[in-house]
Amino acid sequence: MKQQILMPKLRPGMEKGVLCAWSVRPGERVEKGDVLFEVETDKVVSQIEADDSGIVSGFLADEGDEVAVGQPVATLETEQ
Amino acid sequence: MERKPAWLKVSYNQGAVDEIAQLMRELNLNTVCREADCPNIGECYRKHTATFMILGSRCTRNCRFCNVRCGAPAEVDPEEPANVARAAKALRLRHAVVTSVTRDDLPDGGAAHFAGVVRAIREACPGTTVEVLIPDLKGDEKSLDIVLAARPDVLNHNMETVRELYAAVRPEAAYARSLGVLRYAKKARPDSLTKTGFMVGLGETDDQIGRLMDDVLATGCDILTIGQYLRPSPEHAPLARYATPEDFDRYRDLALQKGFKHVASAPLARSSYRAHEALEAVRAESGRPS
Repeated sequence: MKQQILMPKLRPGMEKGVLCAWSVRPGERVEKGDVLFEVETDKVVSQIEADDSGIVSGFLADEGDEVAVGQPVATLETEQ
Repeated sequence: MERKPAWLKVSYNQGAVDEIAQLMRELNLNTVCREADCPNIGECYRKHTATFMILGSRCTRNCRFCNVRCGAPAEVDPEEPANVARAAKALRLRHAVVTSVTRDDLPDGGAAHFAGVVRAIREACPGTTVEVLIPDLKGDEKSLDIVLAARPDVLNHNMETVRELYAAVRPEAAYARSLGVLRYAKKARPDSLTKTGFMVGLGETDDQIGRLMDDVLATGCDILTIGQYLRPSPEHAPLARYATPEDFDRYRDLALQKGFKHVASAPLARSSYRAHEALEAVRAESGRPS
């Protein structure tokens, strides 16, 4: 099943986030809890973990892109 | 945006955050984790720990370092003590940490409500230890007595910064008053632990930090937390520096050398971060049961 990975709302009032680095590559298999990408906010860099296991099938945002909260940044092919 | 040092990386799991956030919503509760935009929220929520923030989500003070919003305070929710206890039970907390916004509008500063929450947790979760992280209650000893009568295991009141920066960072607080809270709590209840914390990165010097430690230690305070100030937004107090992990090690060693029983000093240490470990460490050292 194809699943979208979204830009999370890391803090109250957050509308956009800068995807500062990918931690995976397209086609790579990830397990639940693996770090997918990093988002920089005013305070820290948050390492965003996968909620499900699967294969990262495509990136929808590049490093350095500013992405609105709730918008997809990648797709994940899961087994369920 | 200025690049963050390599040591300011945290993990974030949306599923874990959503799970705890939903529980809090269902019980009409706030956490300081969310309201203060704590960087450790991902780690703590994944471990099923949270710090309750009672008495509403709007503070009557406007400290320059804090992300909690200042505004008209909420009506005190009479169901809140029972709901905090329900959440503590649902999360199976071994150690519950309860803080609040500052409520200068209430005659007792919210002390009776704090005491009600402590008692409700004790009743619902008999094995759970309770730590209160209180505002200064305007330094009123009667209000402090009300909180202390509920016998929290730890009474925490944060100094937040050195004396020299109070006017700029905590303009509505007073250095001597905050020390007085810690001093009175220890004098009134010598058997309960007192705890405080401060931030570095606001422009303080090492000499000022040393004097702050001395002043706090003179109140009889047991536990100290030291963490990096992280500016919540460009509207907040400017960041003067990022202290390195080695700086934090140095501050910890200095504080232990001065005589604190337990010190948590790290860039992402916060007053309630791994609070249970601090309590257990001090009790183990003094031979008291957990």
